[in-house]
Amino acid sequence: MIKNLLCADFLKIKRKGFWFLTFLGPFGVVALQMVNYGVRKDYLLQQSNDEWGYYILNVSTFTPLALVLGVVILTSFMTSVENETNAWKQLIAFPVTKISVYLSKLTVLALLLFISSFLLMLFTLGFGMILELQGQIPYGKLLKHSFYPYFAVTPVLALQLWIAIVSKNQGVPIAVGVLGVILTYSAYLLPDWMIWKWPSLINEWDEPLINVLLGVGVGSLLYIIGMFDFVRRDVK
Amino acid sequence: MLSILSSEWFKLRKSGIIFIITAGPLVGLIIGLLPSFPNEIEINQWYMLVLGINLTYALLFLPLITGVLASVICRYEHQAGGWKQLLSLPVTRWRVFTAKYMVLIFLVLIMQLLYLSSIYGVGMIKGFTDPFPINIVWKSILGGWIATLPLVALQLGLSIFFKSFAAPFAVNVVFTLPTILVVNSEHFGPYYPWAQPFSMMNIGGGTDNVFFVPWDQLLIVVGGSFIIFFFGSLQYFYRKPI
Amino acid sequence: MEYILETKELTKRFGKEEAVSKLDMKIKKGEIYGFLGPNGAGKTTTIRILLGLMKPTSGSIRIFQENLDTERISILKRVGSLVENPSYYPHLTAYENLEASRKILEVPKARIQEVLNIVGLSDVTNKKVKGFSLGMKQRLGIANSLMNNPELLILDEPTNGLDPSGIIEIRNLINRLANEAGITILISSHLLSEVDQLATTVGIINKGKLIFQDSIDVMRRYAQQSISIKVNDSEKARNMLFSNGIKTNYENGRILLPELADMEIAEAIRILVESGVSIYRVEEEKRSLEEIFLQMTREEEDD
Repeated sequence: MIKNLLCADFLKIKRKGFWFLTFLGPFGVVALQMVNYGVRKDYLLQQSNDEWGYYILNVSTFTPLALVLGVVILTSFMTSVENETNAWKQLIAFPVTKISVYLSKLTVLALLLFISSFLLMLFTLGFGMILELQGQIPYGKLLKHSFYPYFAVTPVLALQLWIAIVSKNQGVPIAVGVLGVILTYSAYLLPDWMIWKWPSLINEWDEPLINVLLGVGVGSLLYIIGMFDFVRRDVK
Repeated sequence: MLSILSSEWFKLRKSGIIFIITAGPLVGLIIGLLPSFPNEIEINQWYMLVLGINLTYALLFLPLITGVLASVICRYEHQAGGWKQLLSLPVTRWRVFTAKYMVLIFLVLIMQLLYLSSIYGVGMIKGFTDPFPINIVWKSILGGWIATLPLVALQLGLSIFFKSFAAPFAVNVVFTLPTILVVNSEHFGPYYPWAQPFSMMNIGGGTDNVFFVPWDQLLIVVGGSFIIFFFGSLQYFYRKPI
Repeated sequence: MEYILETKELTKRFGKEEAVSKLDMKIKKGEIYGFLGPNGAGKTTTIRILLGLMKPTSGSIRIFQENLDTERISILKRVGSLVENPSYYPHLTAYENLEASRKILEVPKARIQEVLNIVGLSDVTNKKVKGFSLGMKQRLGIANSLMNNPELLILDEPTNGLDPSGIIEIRNLINRLANEAGITILISSHLLSEVDQLATTVGIINKGKLIFQDSIDVMRRYAQQSISIKVNDSEKARNMLFSNGIKTNYENGRILLPELADMEIAEAIRILVESGVSIYRVEEEKRSLEEIFLQMTREEEDD
């Protein structure tokens, strides 16, 4: 059942700009560094002996922001596809469980974001090579900075999906999303328990893996809560 | 005109708008209260506080949230043929557009004032003893408001164009995010419309002028982009097939 | 008697308001069940509950002899539905819209073209639904409800907003589906005239309560006939008839005779002619089903 729903959901997101946004996010993040290095490459190269490491660090200053924004926009897009003519009633009147409808939506979003993270890795690597940075390419670091934030953002994804699906007014998830973006931007000021801090991979113990594990754990929890709330509600 | 204005206002009352315009000042309050602004240098305590919160509030929050407000104000019209209904009343499109625009900038002004009060609130809670620099803060609040006027015009146009909330927001994000880099640049910073809210709220700027940016920059960049965005959006609205 | 669909004391409350109140609905196999009631009577709420979109506050629903609460999926596999305004994805073509459903329902691809033919949309297969007229969207909605070859079709106001020719088209379509494919159909409407020539059974709901449920023939029996006669001297005529033991009513300048056998009417006319009254018109007056429907829903309100 879930496979069928996924196929249908992928069909529904055609021509809606989902794929473009999936590409635009990681491209934008690297493009900002193109500008940054384009304007003051010499200055930036002087900042550290580890040119690749410093470059990846620069790229990853924008990764959490772009990810959270991507989550907010894609979840809202996803629900607007069903909201536009209230296709929820048609969808739920099919022989499918509400649990699998919810899971399918989440899976599509998670896949799109995964592709984004993968593209981010490619673009980062590509532009780094174009810059002809000195030293060995730190593949481990590259992988970490491309995929750790992806897992750490899971709670935000689960939360936004929940709010977007149950809100009649799409202004609500977007407004909550803007708040989230601001919090993500101010991550270095936030206490460790706030989910919006996690994609930045910063924590008290200086161990990014904690954010990843916490993200997946709390994300799953929020996902389950949201799903049960969705199941419990009447369809409009 | 007055009747369209009051009707717009009426439609807004139950749209959760309060929640949205109080969100920003709330963020300011929270960030301001976080114990992370060291005050080592001998400088008015208020300055440090305002500098600190403005960084998040003016750089990202303000340009993003005004876009959300613009979408909310067009929400009823996008539902079930609301545009048809509204425009078949004896009103001109120019008046509908201007009324929506005026309600929007009024909401932004309220938000700015709430933000002002949350700055004051943070200072009170933290027990600041330095005198409140009312003149400078006023400049910042009003300046930020003026700098959003062109952005709001564009966002209103985008919200009329797109049915969904997410699409205008996505466009808005694409233009707002680069601000983070742009404000660091002496060459581009002064000319990028999305960087103006930050520049005009940033109390570190030159204090000789009425606002924190020179008059010519204000007139050319803010004024110019206002004319382009406002009349461009209006032009689109006139041609939009309903 | 085996029912395809049966509800027992079905109730749905929104806060204090009871939208559906102790509904006992019974639909037999092969019937076209006309579900009637004024706007806001609880039709759509009932249908939403029947499709599992809403959970009832109390009461039970059995469809195909199975409990909807526990066997929802297996039941819905055999049900097609169209609830209120048609739902569709405007940015997709007609074909893609049905393809999205087909993937979920796991029916062969050929079915898409079949249902498009049935509803007469085969020439706009690859056009985006955005540009469709209301009638076309409605037909697409019906096509969608037929995708899984349903045994029970639930259509909520399928003719809402259609022009007269569209209404006739849909009516013929429904007739064909019931007669040729043997599908049991539940069709709701706020206009009796729409299901009048269609329904075999009628259920009338008002303020959440089912106030009538029986075959359409029983309902027609309520449509008593009467004979109205227009004469030059009504008072004299009535007196003459009364003295011959025929009671009459008087309304708008016409004498109304109650339901009488043909011979009795002939007798009455003979009396009038012989007494020298000039008869201008003799007409049969039939109360329309619509009037009965209105009267039923009104009577309920007076209680």
